[in-house]
Amino acid sequence: MAKLWHIFRLMMRGEAKSLWRGLLLSALVLMMGAALLGLSGWFIVAASAAGLLGTGAVFDVFRPSAMVRFLAIGRTATRYGERILTHDATLRALTRLRVTLLSGLAKRSHERLIRLRGAQALNRIIADVDALDGVPLRLFLPLIAGGATQLLALLFLSWLVDWRVALPIFLIFTFGALAVLLWGIRRARVPSRRAEAAAQAFRTRFIDLLTSREDLALYGQLPDQSEACLSAEARRQAAATATDFVERQAGAALMVISALAAAVALWIGGDLAQAGVITPAQAAIGFFAALALMETVAPLRRAVAEMGRMIGAARRVIALTEGALQEGQGADPELSRATPVQLRFDQVGFARNGAQPVIEGFDLSLGASEWVALKGPSGVGKSTVLLMAAGALAPTQGQVTLNGQPVTELAPGTVTLVGQRAALIQGSIAENLRLAAPEADDAALHAALRAVALDEVIAAKGGLETGLGPRGAGLSGGETRRLVLARALLKQPSVLLLDEPTEGLDHPTAERVLAGIRAALPQAVILMAAHRAEEQGAADKIVTLG
Amino acid sequence: MLSALLAREKSAIGLASWLSALSGFLWLPQAALVAATFSHLLLGEGGVRVGTGVLSFLGFAALRLILNYLAEGLLFRAGQAIVTQMRQEILAREGQNLGTSALGGPGALAALAGEKLDALLPYITRYTPAQKRVMTVPFAILALAFWQSWAVGLVFVIAGPLIPVFMALVGYAAKEASERQMQEIGSLGDLLVDRLAALADIRLLGAAPRLIERFDRSADDLRSRTMAVLRIAFLSSTVLELFAALGVAMVAVWVGFSLLGELSWGAWGGGITPWAGIFLLLLAPDYFQPLRDLSAAWHDKAAALAVAGELAKWQDHEAETLLGTGAKRAPLSGPATVRLSGVAVRRGGRKIIYPDAEIAPGQRVALSGPSGAGKTTLLRLIAGLDRPAAGTIMVAGQPLSDETADGWRARLGWMPQAPMFLARSLRHNIAFGAPLSPDLLSETALEGVLKSLPKGDLTILGETGGGLSGGEARRVMLARALAARPDVVLADEPTADLDHETAERVTEALLALAERGATLIVATHDPKLIAKMDRVIDVAPAGRDAQEATHG
Ligand SMILES: Nc1ncnc2c1ncn2[C@@H]1O[C@H](COP(=O)(O)OP(=O)(O)OP(=O)(O)O)[C@@H](O)[C@H]1O
Ligand SMILES: [Mg+2]
Repeated sequence: MAKLWHIFRLMMRGEAKSLWRGLLLSALVLMMGAALLGLSGWFIVAASAAGLLGTGAVFDVFRPSAMVRFLAIGRTATRYGERILTHDATLRALTRLRVTLLSGLAKRSHERLIRLRGAQALNRIIADVDALDGVPLRLFLPLIAGGATQLLALLFLSWLVDWRVALPIFLIFTFGALAVLLWGIRRARVPSRRAEAAAQAFRTRFIDLLTSREDLALYGQLPDQSEACLSAEARRQAAATATDFVERQAGAALMVISALAAAVALWIGGDLAQAGVITPAQAAIGFFAALALMETVAPLRRAVAEMGRMIGAARRVIALTEGALQEGQGADPELSRATPVQLRFDQVGFARNGAQPVIEGFDLSLGASEWVALKGPSGVGKSTVLLMAAGALAPTQGQVTLNGQPVTELAPGTVTLVGQRAALIQGSIAENLRLAAPEADDAALHAALRAVALDEVIAAKGGLETGLGPRGAGLSGGETRRLVLARALLKQPSVLLLDEPTEGLDHPTAERVLAGIRAALPQAVILMAAHRAEEQGAADKIVTLG
Repeated sequence: MLSALLAREKSAIGLASWLSALSGFLWLPQAALVAATFSHLLLGEGGVRVGTGVLSFLGFAALRLILNYLAEGLLFRAGQAIVTQMRQEILAREGQNLGTSALGGPGALAALAGEKLDALLPYITRYTPAQKRVMTVPFAILALAFWQSWAVGLVFVIAGPLIPVFMALVGYAAKEASERQMQEIGSLGDLLVDRLAALADIRLLGAAPRLIERFDRSADDLRSRTMAVLRIAFLSSTVLELFAALGVAMVAVWVGFSLLGELSWGAWGGGITPWAGIFLLLLAPDYFQPLRDLSAAWHDKAAALAVAGELAKWQDHEAETLLGTGAKRAPLSGPATVRLSGVAVRRGGRKIIYPDAEIAPGQRVALSGPSGAGKTTLLRLIAGLDRPAAGTIMVAGQPLSDETADGWRARLGWMPQAPMFLARSLRHNIAFGAPLSPDLLSETALEGVLKSLPKGDLTILGETGGGLSGGEARRVMLARALAARPDVVLADEPTADLDHETAERVTEALLALAERGATLIVATHDPKLIAKMDRVIDVAPAGRDAQEATHG
């Protein structure tokens, strides 16, 4: 519950005004509803009493009937306003939450980021946030508005009818609803949480199935993965059925409470009327108002069902938003392009907490137009050196500076790194290229493609607007590699870091690509991890690690 | 499509709808009793006494409650059954398809199989019973109203039909808005699944702020589309409530005036009794209630229609399918020969024609050719992942077909060019549940790698192996291929991303397998690896002639 309150306050932060107004209107709707039914009941019974007594002529019919019309129309209009306000505010708050979560993910350390799986993030940003819409709409707003209405009804009914009618109604509704809420939550929390967890597991497994189905088919694992998806779905169905069971019981209990409150109002009111303490018309106010007050507790049914799901989602979302604040990296001004650059490694070392250092006491200095290749066996730390140069990994000893400024303080992307794993996205070739340089025109894109010997291939495929599938499907391995290189060239970086740039390319293509890179970036500092002879041949200098 | 879906649980839905209508009907005697109680209070005689009134009020309330409870339970189960069945169908079909679906990538499909299918539930549990109540309850109330007062009956008759007319007008807009909302949900899913997996690279390019901006726009788009749907839903139910409120208010005013004796028209034979007045007032809201329920569920219907539309689109799309089912089968018998004759495929506008070739069991073959020549495509053809446009592929003496593909794949080991990892332990990614043998790990030089990982072989890696270096990820793929004890290994650039020493080890492992009699088919540019093969099949790009070279 504390988590939910935290989330509610988080959501209120930007939308406080709308939510307050929405809250006010929701309470107003409930109150007008009770007033409307109470007044109508009183009006009919009082009118028939007056008719029976023959005093109909002096009975004021106009004011009550005008009130009835006013309440009827006013309530409808208020309800519309309330719904629009609260839903709009909630959706806005959720959208903001999604963006916060994504920014939080984007600030994660490189090490954690490369392990991020799309489906997992989807569960956080979409499913968990979706689960939270109930926090204001079906939990806090109805609870607060309903409570306020009940209190007001207690006061008014005591005044208009009799406290002996008003108090039981109030007690039955408030204690009854609270009891149902607590009992329901206790029983539904676990299945509701499980249903959501299973739904998320289904999503992860299904996305896995779709992205790896060829590998799975090859090893005869496709039915197994389908089976895993189905078992998640079966678990979800079972948990959802259990949740629904409790939800329906809670709904029935709330109906019982409402019926009980109305029956008690009828009973006590009737007795008092018979005893002459109040008029039958006053008794009618109590009964009809009690019928209308049912609306104050009805929404709790959904709250019971969703509580487990909301709490789970709130926990995960809060953890992520807090993580986002801790891991925050400052983005500082970009380096001006005019100055000749100087990349320096000063006694740089790196060790993962406590483990054997990957690299120690590394010194290197590179000036403009210099191209250095790093060689050494696998695992010696070539990629680590590159990541530190890109500022994606903070050295545990020494520092890497660009023109005297530590690279970790530069805005991400100032130093451009092309990693070993090519990451393309679904969308056109142009879209993929413009990830790096959004303003680049088509001529620049063609030039970059030409530099990596890809222009003809892309032209044959239908040009820049050719669409690629998920993760860039539709290109061969070498073509993917070259497209990623072209993307880096488009950025026109003053420092380019390459991790095995021509891996998977045939000899002539590799030579053409390396020459193309040099020609495209004559001024740049290039540092490259390389095992291939072609790559080492292209460099001005070779540094051996290990 | 929607009605076809509902037909699967027709009897349960029908029964539940009737139960819910019955519960609506029971309000009629219940209201009559309440009216009789007040009439007793007013007149001091006749009607029903307070005690009896209270008890029977509770009795009817209990009865209605039970009926509703049962109806809801039935509807929920029926809805769940339909949704789960559809999920199973999507799963069964998508498991066989290759490439992207009509709706988009994995994110969009997961949205369809996930939250969108769930959108069918409210339609089933709320809309269908409301529809039944609308067709029944108001008519009974109308008859009772006319029995007591033609004026009240007239109010009902006039106000009632306005509602369906209005709903029909709203319906069209609601459907369109829901369709747009559903589309946006799908594309947001795709945007995230694809870009988040690449987020590390996107940030290295300095493009993270732009991605966040773009996502902000898309999320806001989804919000405004959802709001558009809700606006229509709220507006329509407000208008209905207004009709209902006006109707009830008119009835109340007429009843009040009649009871006062101010009005002498509208009822049969002069005035009405207090009982009738109270009874009519209690009935009036319930005349409109089913219509209000229906309008409140109207956007559920619109959403369900939009989902059904997407399902139909998904069903109509004929995707290319995998050969066979991808299940574990008994290995195809016979010597593991591969024969290509006249094989060709289309790739975009290009046609790749492969040379005819016969690969004997135990042979070591390199596929070479420039980047984009079609080496990977040939490996995929041999593995039964793609269907050739022309020609036949014979494996173990039989044509590779839907019948033989699974058995053939049971004899294969596969090293893809781009490693992919499931969201399961590394151990599962290597041996699919079987234990990892120490030999396997040492052969692929993975022991050290497993030790350095925080959770060892239970680590869950990123989709493309994030958490391992490129060379390590490739060695995991090798280990996976070896763990399958293959007769034929199809390896795509097995030595890419590896330094000489490790490349040497990987090559050794592959050759050792060949020593034991396995066939090696390797797509590679690595001259050292090529040199160790028995022969080279040159996969030439269009325009150049394919040729075959044999080493001595
Ligand atoms: N899914 C696809 N849809 C359409 N075209 C594709 C697809 N995959 C690959 N291609 C195209 O088919 C051709 C052959 O691709 P293939 O992957 O077989 O090449 P390759 O010889 O393995 O190249 P590389 O050495 O670069 O890996 C290329 O032109 C490529 O662009
Ligand atoms: Mg390839």
